[in-house]
Amino acid sequence: MNFAEKRLWFFIISILIITPGIFYLITSPGLKLGIDFTGGSSTTVQFPLDLNIEQSDIRSILIDLNYGESTVQNLSDNHFFIKTKELNDEEKSNLEDTLISSLSPESSSLITSFDLVSPVVATETVIAAAWAVLAASIGIFIYIWWAFRNVPKPLRYGTAAIIALIHDAVIVIGVFAILGKLADIEINTMFLIGLLTIIGYSVNDTIVIFDRIRENVLTYSNRQFTEIINLSISETLGRSFNTSFTLLITLLALLLFGGVTIREFLYVLIIGVAAGTYSSIGIASQILVVWDQKHIGSIFTKKHS
Amino acid sequence: MRRNARSLIIIALIILITSLVLLNQKFEINNFERGSDAPLGLSLGLDLQGGSHLVYQSNLKDPITNTLVPVTKDQMESLVRTVERRINSSGLGEPIIQILGDDRLLIQLPGIKDPSRAKDLIGETARLEFKHRILNVQPELIKELTVKDVIAITPDILLQDGKLLSTQKSQNSGTETSELETYAALVIEFSDAGVEKFSKIAETIQSSYLTSLQANAAGKSYPPSQLLINIGENDPISITSGGNQILQYEDTNKFIFALPVSMNEGIVKQEIPAEDITTKTSSDFFVSFSNLPGFIDEEIGLSGDDLSNAYPSQHQGSGAPIVNIEFDKEGTKIFGELTSQIYAKQQESGIKDQIAIILDGDDLIAPVVNSPITAGTAIIQGPDFTLERVKDLSLLLESGRLPIPIQLIQERDVDAILGAQSLEKSVVAGIVGLTLVLLFMTLYYRIPGLIASIALIIYASIILSIFKLLPVTLTLSGVAAAILSIGMAVDANILIFERMKDELRSGRTLNTSINIGFNRAWPAIRDGNVSTLITCAILYWFSEQLGATIVQGFAVTLAIGVVISMFSAIMISRSLMRAIALTPLSKHISFFIPSGGGKLSKQLAQ
Repeated sequence: MNFAEKRLWFFIISILIITPGIFYLITSPGLKLGIDFTGGSSTTVQFPLDLNIEQSDIRSILIDLNYGESTVQNLSDNHFFIKTKELNDEEKSNLEDTLISSLSPESSSLITSFDLVSPVVATETVIAAAWAVLAASIGIFIYIWWAFRNVPKPLRYGTAAIIALIHDAVIVIGVFAILGKLADIEINTMFLIGLLTIIGYSVNDTIVIFDRIRENVLTYSNRQFTEIINLSISETLGRSFNTSFTLLITLLALLLFGGVTIREFLYVLIIGVAAGTYSSIGIASQILVVWDQKHIGSIFTKKHS
Repeated sequence: MRRNARSLIIIALIILITSLVLLNQKFEINNFERGSDAPLGLSLGLDLQGGSHLVYQSNLKDPITNTLVPVTKDQMESLVRTVERRINSSGLGEPIIQILGDDRLLIQLPGIKDPSRAKDLIGETARLEFKHRILNVQPELIKELTVKDVIAITPDILLQDGKLLSTQKSQNSGTETSELETYAALVIEFSDAGVEKFSKIAETIQSSYLTSLQANAAGKSYPPSQLLINIGENDPISITSGGNQILQYEDTNKFIFALPVSMNEGIVKQEIPAEDITTKTSSDFFVSFSNLPGFIDEEIGLSGDDLSNAYPSQHQGSGAPIVNIEFDKEGTKIFGELTSQIYAKQQESGIKDQIAIILDGDDLIAPVVNSPITAGTAIIQGPDFTLERVKDLSLLLESGRLPIPIQLIQERDVDAILGAQSLEKSVVAGIVGLTLVLLFMTLYYRIPGLIASIALIIYASIILSIFKLLPVTLTLSGVAAAILSIGMAVDANILIFERMKDELRSGRTLNTSINIGFNRAWPAIRDGNVSTLITCAILYWFSEQLGATIVQGFAVTLAIGVVISMFSAIMISRSLMRAIALTPLSKHISFFIPSGGGKLSKQLAQ
């Protein structure tokens, strides 16, 4: 199968997936930021299952308490997530008492978890995350460059892997911008961890194909580079499918049976694993081809050799 | 083949050790203690067992510019000690306290869902108090215990065997007891209601006596409370009893009070003759009890906040170890007034009042005053002071106040029920996920898949054993990382099998294919895992900066998982494969070639 020949399609598909994400990202409100990035408090409350509690009931109580800029989300059965400004101990117990007295008079307590993040921490999180992504990219770039030192033009492999990595990260961020708009999904520290994990996975997946290319370039030094790319992708395709498949099985099991606490994290990984597998074949390897053809127009060249 | 036999023995040992580690909930070898009540004895993070996670930041500001000032490492360490002591003394369980970055403090309180009490304790600026310890206090009448509670007051003799002379007489009359050593005593018989009231009073006096004994043994002075008994309404006979002089007589309503004695020219002389008491009680049956406190601690508004420094040194003249204390401006004023007042009283009445220095409600030291100190710096000396003791005292004095002001910047509380639910769900998810993966591997890759599945189970038990032994605290993100690392381990196996398959298809023998498969797959496994390790290292660094323990747990867990997965794929899977290759199963090459999918990838490759 000639993968290199179809590179235009790969690039077009990527652009089609990335564009709506970017659109949602740059148009207001962009990513929906959780308290880890903005500062504030989040309180999760669990009402007894026999009560019929609506999101709007909680919202009106929050308005009565003068927490106008707050959000309420239904996590699962009578389990709600309430985001407010930073609450001190008194305000927190006042909120709980009010919820109990107006919605669930028989309960003694409702709060199952409580988070507080000050704006200082939130700002740092954003800065540190940016640095972490940058540092990880540089570290990986240098490692790949070194690992491919025996192949002609090792720099290209590092660069292509990093571009594929950025591609995957942009897809994940874009999808979350869309999810934030459509499903009120917020990003939090776990989202960042997920993103960094995906960076690791994306590179891992790219390396497997690059490793084949490295081997084949040295074995079949007389063959065309495009041919070698096609051969290497074909040879690693079984592994790519099977690995992504097993990972996705595990992630789906976690999503279905695991708690709601890490749901966002799992969304990141599922989207990221799919994107990572695709980009290794459709982006990273194809960049090597385009670069080998030495002119930018070759992106559009359908046939070669 | 001999090398493979050795590998197989190592694998068997690993299985044995990991089973021992995991199946023993808790174990202890010498001082190495591991295990918990959680499943498999793993140690669980706050999100899985419930608890509170607090992050504080230094709020040390320049008084003039009002901007934040950097803190020193010493200040942070002193902060840790102070917070540790405060939480430990409050009985809020075992906190985990650590410094994050340069100026942050992480406090984890397992099992505490609502940390408001802990926050109050941590946030208090000072727990060290200075009080005026007034000695020679006036007696206070105990109003609730009156003459109505008393049935009889009789002088008696306490024999050495713990019997009263009067009871001896009633049992065997006429027996001479003079050979035994005897003590003059007063016996008060209470009514039932009286016994109940008096027992409580006696208890406090006895415990004050014990405290005083302990304090004396520790080289501190702590005057105990005593009981003053006045017999007779007019011109009473007064008896003072300390905690060691009051004794309940067997299980009766009688209490024995030792009568005071004095030594006069080698002869023990009873100060209050028994006859006097008999005479007094027969004419004027009246008794009152008063509390005679050893001291009263008077609040003077001086606390650890007013102390600016405390450090050990040696006396310039004598070289004796001493503790130096320095007060701030406000402290200097109060301390000056206090010492002047105590000194004046000393000159006037000879009563040496003390300055009680109290840390978290416990006496630290109670020095006397040798002269008024108005300069704000003082030294504390003691006959029993060693270099070590003055160092400890200085540290304790310093720890009584927070060395730097702090503010809460992050809080994460998880209810224990939610934690237990998360744990249960993660375990179920993990088992379902792993089972599906193993099923897929075995069905698709057949015998190699089965071997990989066995290797994965061994892999999982190695990982869990390492978590238990180090120990790694397992958090929700850690569970996610562990599951992800299983994915990486699977990937390593898949890489190898795909290579093996190619070799088998090209007609090589099973043994050669196994070797080539492993060797060819290795660079990809290595490079992929190294890049994941790079990401882990960066994540770890990133979480250090943030104090995000969730991220840290994830990075550590994933890193351990990745390293072990390389080992398991290479060493465990390969050795087991080689062992299988020796069995008759190896004759059926088709058992070693993937089903259906092989065709697909072959088509794709064309």
